[in-house]
Amino acid sequence: MEQFLLQNSWWIPCYGFIGAILTLPWAVGIIRRTGPRPAAYFNLLMTIISLVHGFLVFRITLGEDPQPLVIHWFTAADLDLTLMLDVSSVGMGAVELVTALSLLAQLFALGYMEKDWALARFFALMGFFEGAMSGLALSESLFLSYALLEMLTLSTYLLVGFWYAQPLVVTAARDAFLTKRVGDVLLLMGVVALATLSGTLNFPDLYEWAETAELSPTVSTLLGLALISGPIGKCAQFPLHLWLDEAMEGPNPASILRNSVVVACGAYVLIKLQPILVLSPVASIALIVLGTMTAIGASLVAIAQIDIKRALSHSTSAYLGLVFIAVGTQWTDVALFVLLTHAIAKALLFMSIGSVILTTSSQDITEMGGLWSRMPATSIAFVVGAVGLVGLLPLGGFWALYEGVDTYWYGQPWLVVVLLIVNALSAFNLTRVFRLVFLGPPQPKTRRAPEVPWTMAVPMVALTITTLLVPAILQRLYLLPDWTYINGPAVVLLMLSGAIGFALGATIHLNRTWARPIQTPLKFAQDLLAYDFYVDQLYKVTVVWLVDRVSRLNAWFDRYVLDGAVNFVGLASIFSGESLKYSVSGQSQFYLLTILIGVSILGALLTYLVW
Amino acid sequence: MSTNFPWLTTITLLPLVASLLIPVLPDKYGKTVRWYSLAVGLIDFALIVYAFWYHYDFQNPDFQLVETYAWLPQLGLNWTLAVDGISMPLVLLASLVTTLSMLAGWQVTYKPRLFYFLMLAMYSAQIGVFCAQDILLFFLMWELELVPVYILISIWGGPKRLYAATKFILYTAIGSIFILVAALAMAFYGGNVTFDMRELGMKDYSLTFELLVYAALIIAYGVKLPIFPLHTWLPDAHGEASAPVSMILAGVLLKMGGYAIIRMNVEMLTDAHFYFAPVLAILGVVNIVYGALVSFAQRNLKRRMAYSSVSHMGFVLLGIASYTELGLSGAVLQMISHGLIAAALFYLSGVTYERTHTLMLDKMGGLGRSMPTVFALFTIASMASLALPGMSGFVGELAVFIGFATSDSYTSAFKLVVVLLSAVGLILTPMYLLSMLREMFYGKENTEFRGVPLLDARPREVFVTACLLIPIIGIGLYPKLFTQTYDVKTVQVASHARMAVSTVAQQPLQLFSEVSQAPALNSVTSGEFLGIVK
Repeated sequence: MEQFLLQNSWWIPCYGFIGAILTLPWAVGIIRRTGPRPAAYFNLLMTIISLVHGFLVFRITLGEDPQPLVIHWFTAADLDLTLMLDVSSVGMGAVELVTALSLLAQLFALGYMEKDWALARFFALMGFFEGAMSGLALSESLFLSYALLEMLTLSTYLLVGFWYAQPLVVTAARDAFLTKRVGDVLLLMGVVALATLSGTLNFPDLYEWAETAELSPTVSTLLGLALISGPIGKCAQFPLHLWLDEAMEGPNPASILRNSVVVACGAYVLIKLQPILVLSPVASIALIVLGTMTAIGASLVAIAQIDIKRALSHSTSAYLGLVFIAVGTQWTDVALFVLLTHAIAKALLFMSIGSVILTTSSQDITEMGGLWSRMPATSIAFVVGAVGLVGLLPLGGFWALYEGVDTYWYGQPWLVVVLLIVNALSAFNLTRVFRLVFLGPPQPKTRRAPEVPWTMAVPMVALTITTLLVPAILQRLYLLPDWTYINGPAVVLLMLSGAIGFALGATIHLNRTWARPIQTPLKFAQDLLAYDFYVDQLYKVTVVWLVDRVSRLNAWFDRYVLDGAVNFVGLASIFSGESLKYSVSGQSQFYLLTILIGVSILGALLTYLVW
Repeated sequence: MSTNFPWLTTITLLPLVASLLIPVLPDKYGKTVRWYSLAVGLIDFALIVYAFWYHYDFQNPDFQLVETYAWLPQLGLNWTLAVDGISMPLVLLASLVTTLSMLAGWQVTYKPRLFYFLMLAMYSAQIGVFCAQDILLFFLMWELELVPVYILISIWGGPKRLYAATKFILYTAIGSIFILVAALAMAFYGGNVTFDMRELGMKDYSLTFELLVYAALIIAYGVKLPIFPLHTWLPDAHGEASAPVSMILAGVLLKMGGYAIIRMNVEMLTDAHFYFAPVLAILGVVNIVYGALVSFAQRNLKRRMAYSSVSHMGFVLLGIASYTELGLSGAVLQMISHGLIAAALFYLSGVTYERTHTLMLDKMGGLGRSMPTVFALFTIASMASLALPGMSGFVGELAVFIGFATSDSYTSAFKLVVVLLSAVGLILTPMYLLSMLREMFYGKENTEFRGVPLLDARPREVFVTACLLIPIIGIGLYPKLFTQTYDVKTVQVASHARMAVSTVAQQPLQLFSEVSQAPALNSVTSGEFLGIVK
């Protein structure tokens, strides 16, 4: 039985895809009589199956050696592309996280999307999302990882574009796809380069190759930068970060997954790539620099947001920035730790605000207030999620950040500063959001606000309890530090930073009427942060403008120079034909004259030549 | 494996013979002819599948199902047909796309007899081009296919159809002259006069002669493929042709150029290919980037797709120039995959046009609400076109990329530049495709459509698109299934080409020494090419 489960663990990602396929009859409208609900149930069932299967395999693999599964996918000529799956406890743990959160998000969606006519399509996309993510967690081949990252890009595109008739969605879906695609294509170039250099694309072989590889600095730098650009796009890091903000136009249950595990998938690939990135010091430095920029920049930007989803999504970018720093400094266990705790806490926060959005039909936090007494479960979920995210009380986020602070304590103290700043800012931001949404007097939109139905409340409460239990889980997995070796000053500093952020957030004057500050510098700072440091405007006048101009120039060249030349030849022949036709006048004198002139020219030529 | 039944002759001639019956068919309501033609197309497709399944050996790199009949012995013209790993997939593609396009033209009410007669004639000509092994016969088939296209565009096309059709026929006819001249020159070179392609390939031409003939052929096929700057007929022809015709134009006719380059330039003129390969690679990159950029600036839906074809065919050139088995295999795969994808996209744009009566992107918008199925199919086809993993376009382009990157015929700086620039094309592709989708389907419905009933796709339309999309996804998910049917042949062609490099490189013509470098000799063992070089 154990062997059977192990051998067939490649089924785990397939369950999600099967679920997505099973929903098709409802999604495309072949079955209408039952309504779209059965499609959702199929998907939930498939998720439960994969959760159970994953859990059993996880139990088996705990403490065992990784067991590779190899599928020969594409053999053309001398290229043999194999898809390798790695059945190890880490991979299976990641699968469990993905499927569990996916299950909760789907249950949540059952309530949240209840009145949406395209419920079946939504669940098909969620199944697809889940399948791609669990495949990514198991993948042991860079090629497969790349392909699945593209699948995630596709499903992000489709999920963000879910409500395709809305005005803002129009550009949001396209931007999400394009931004991620830029990263993906650069990653593909890295994949092609690696295939050429090392002749293999499976991670174990690549690690072996990386240990002995000798590359010129230019090659290794280009390779490293190409490899990290895929995760940069996927994890919404500067300079490919704008899509996450816009992606908040999609339905909230998808945002739960996107902000917790989807971005984490990109980071997971990055962690897998880390032994290869060691080849290039520039790539490591780039990771640290970009991670720092994003972590601090996104934390600041989050503070100025008045859209409830955007206020939290920028904080996702910030935490992923911390993961990037960790990978850049080669501390992958810190990175995994942050990813795990962030995923759980962020999912809970998004469930909580999903309930708020559904109840109030609004995302603008200046229009909210006083929800705590009306929606107790939602309020508790938000508080627990916030506490689980920041380093203040000993929940998951605290231990993850502590691990980071402790790791950098002696070697890179300035990274400790970055961590503390991010922690303080995120505590500040979450307190601010909490005060605006849940405290204060009720506003018109929050006056009649009942607690959400059970389909949403159950996953939310379950995740609340899970978040509270994270320290216990960490204890079981031996991830908590030993009490005797605990770094006292680090704990104090971390708690202090959290407390400062909390205190500032609790005392700062917030006005809901959205009166603008009168002082110009303050106003400028607010706008600067609210509009993402104007990066999108910057892109608009540089890259977008350039591509647009160049393509217009090329089109002009094609139309008037190339095609113009062709048409000119045509016109010239028509013109000569048209003018020659006047030689046919019908007058015999004219013909005689023509003959005479012709003969005399001929004669002159002949005499000239003979002479 | 041999058979006495003349399979290829039957397959090639069946549609042509059947088309001769169309004028006398009793057809009062204009419905018999289309059923008749569709039946002929299906029967021929079934025959092709049957013949290849039972009488074609996938592991044999040589010509199979060979048939030779003397046709005009005075001229030395033979009716010689055969298929190998390069032509076999293309015959299948041509048959599939043409049959589907006859189904796509279901609603042609204006002169249906002529329409279907021409479609069937073109069916024969396409298969004839891919099967002909006599260079004169090849030329005849090539010409035979031009005339129906001309008439089809000039009668059933859009508003500028006469201009487009004339441009098409002039361009390709001038190109064909080069084929004829080159064919005759090759046939009369040396002592023995022959039109047989195998024997022509075995002749030992002088290098200057080869270079000249190569240049002539690359002009002829460059018009067809198309290669920048010979492409300007294509947006006009594709843009003005009606949907069924542009399906065939983009789906099959462009591939004739790619096929002929592999068959003649690479296989027969191997020495000259060494000198032209870097040029082809550069032109391939220009095609990819230039086509994508120009496509982005187009406001007409079909012109945008036409330029996207230019861009995608650049990968075929790149694969041909790569000098590796993988690159060549990728080039063939890219041809097949683009044939399917472009046919699907052009068909869908025809479906949209039937409802909106406009092809201008500015006038569309918000169609997703009333035409969700068309929206979904369009999205799938666009995803395939922008090379999403799991779809056939990705496998073809990936194979070309890796094939080119592992090529040992070029310096690494040249390879780096080529691969990076084509990657730019890979980023530009989603730009124009997604902005196309956005302008067509997303957002609010354009006010111009108020009162116009925008019906969703009918079952027939879904069926046609599904027939094209299923192989796209099938190849994308498990490409091995498909590539192994022709792999032995591409391996043979590539290794044959590489062996020629090693002989040419010993007497270098210091022309491209900047980018080309002689590969290591030891990677080639002489036993492998006995199949073609005896």
